[in-house]
Amino acid sequence: MSIKLSSSIPTDREVVLGILNNSEEALNKLYLGYFPMVLQFILNNSGDEADAKDVYQEAIIVLYDKIKSGKFELSSKLKTYLYSVSRRIWLKKLAQQSKKTNNIADFEDVLAVDEDFERHEEKDQQFDQMKKALDNLGEPCKTIIQDFYIHNLSMQDICEKFGYTNTDNAKTQKYKCLQRLKKLFFQL
Amino acid sequence: MNNDIQLESIIEDYLNGRLNPAELAAFEQLRSNDPVVDHKVVAHNFFLESMQKYAETSILKAQMDNAHIEIDVYEISAKVKPHSSKVVRIWRNNKSAIAIAASFLIMASAVLLSSYSLNKQEGNLQLLDRKVSQLNQSQNNIIRVITNDAQKANRAPAKFGGTGFAISSNGFILTNYHVIKGADSLYIQNNKGVSYKVKKFYMDPVNDIAILKVTDLSFVSLGAVPYSIKKTNAGIGEAVYTLGYPKDDVVLGDGYVSSKTGINGDTLAYQIAIPVNPGNSGGPLLDNNGNIVGVINGKEDKTDGAAFAVKSRYIIEALNAIPQDSLSKRVGYGKKSILQGLKRNQQVEKIQDYVFMIKVYN
Repeated sequence: MSIKLSSSIPTDREVVLGILNNSEEALNKLYLGYFPMVLQFILNNSGDEADAKDVYQEAIIVLYDKIKSGKFELSSKLKTYLYSVSRRIWLKKLAQQSKKTNNIADFEDVLAVDEDFERHEEKDQQFDQMKKALDNLGEPCKTIIQDFYIHNLSMQDICEKFGYTNTDNAKTQKYKCLQRLKKLFFQL
Repeated sequence: MNNDIQLESIIEDYLNGRLNPAELAAFEQLRSNDPVVDHKVVAHNFFLESMQKYAETSILKAQMDNAHIEIDVYEISAKVKPHSSKVVRIWRNNKSAIAIAASFLIMASAVLLSSYSLNKQEGNLQLLDRKVSQLNQSQNNIIRVITNDAQKANRAPAKFGGTGFAISSNGFILTNYHVIKGADSLYIQNNKGVSYKVKKFYMDPVNDIAILKVTDLSFVSLGAVPYSIKKTNAGIGEAVYTLGYPKDDVVLGDGYVSSKTGINGDTLAYQIAIPVNPGNSGGPLLDNNGNIVGVINGKEDKTDGAAFAVKSRYIIEALNAIPQDSLSKRVGYGKKSILQGLKRNQQVEKIQDYVFMIKVYN
């Protein structure tokens, strides 16, 4: 499996173009291509497989934001960038668990990614805030809001799905849910 | 209510650019006239952006989870994980510490072999000798030659001392068994020179641990104990320090854990590179975060700096063996010590009120 994986690492250009075009296939290739590298880093620095997954996914989110905002320059290798971001994220987690971070075993070159990392932390906080608000919202509100704002269902679809007698009732319900969600979101 | 619902849906259409020119003009007019509406627009815009970002990230995460299932994580991790042999790993990670420890041991044995001069000190010397004979009993003839010295020295003065530390606020003091063994009467003395009478409360000769209880009525509560006891083992090279009473004032000793086993491979103890002297026995061994990792209980005679400490695990065993309700504000296990992050001098400042000289009369 891993031999096949290592032979299927996509070129950096492929990945950047794929991400800009929202290609899921490009994401898959990227994901499979560099996971072993991050896994190796985490396992050798007092983490486990689950830590590797979390850190790697966070690093890809950082890369995504960077590419989508048009700031990623192909002058730095994608691999080095992902490695450096993963490393930065893991060091922070180690520090939070008050483990030593002075004896890190490295396997790749490291870039300075502090700026991207800090921006990501801000966004991550916003994500958590929304997630918490949604989790506290309760059903059916959570599903109605997610259907409308994330899965882009129309009010008509929602009305049918939840069995409201008319769209006005569905709209009223969605309005109430939204008010509660906004209250939760802005309070957190 | 209906008006609110309508306003909200107009705001959403406005932000999504779905109003026709006439509606747009009317709404912008309303917005500039009514600050409440304007505020709603700004807040809703921020909310929608966050929701948009949340939606994108959620979808991306779901896609990544899908990709993740494809990966045989354990097959890859078998290839890339650190060397499975613990020995190799410890060696790789602690090369320098092991090298120091090894050279240290070589030096120690050289000194042990070369010199046997018996220029013993007066006074608290007794304690060390008692300790040595204790080691001889429990650890079979490692330094049997010294037993003779011990017997000789035992004829000397009858008063000796050690160190102990509080394990609760209400006067329970932990020290070494060998310090108080055979004592007729026992006193502890704090760093201000005040003495209290204590009695033996619990004794564990195998692990060389004893717990004393203050019986003096004049003793006042010490307050919550600042250190906590470390549950896990300390590693080789870990920086440690001890406070003790080799003289009448408290003395700080500083060093590192040099081996995971004590004399002759004794797994109950660590070997530590700290210069200790008679009187240090029973003192707490702390790491840089203010966790107790052991109790000083002896040193290799004829060698400076090779000392031994009973591992903290056996302190916890002893504490668990006595009635828990008798200990008020007992020292915590494995918890974060309040000393964590403090500088060494600040830690010592806080700890020294909890470390006592043990005075033994027989």
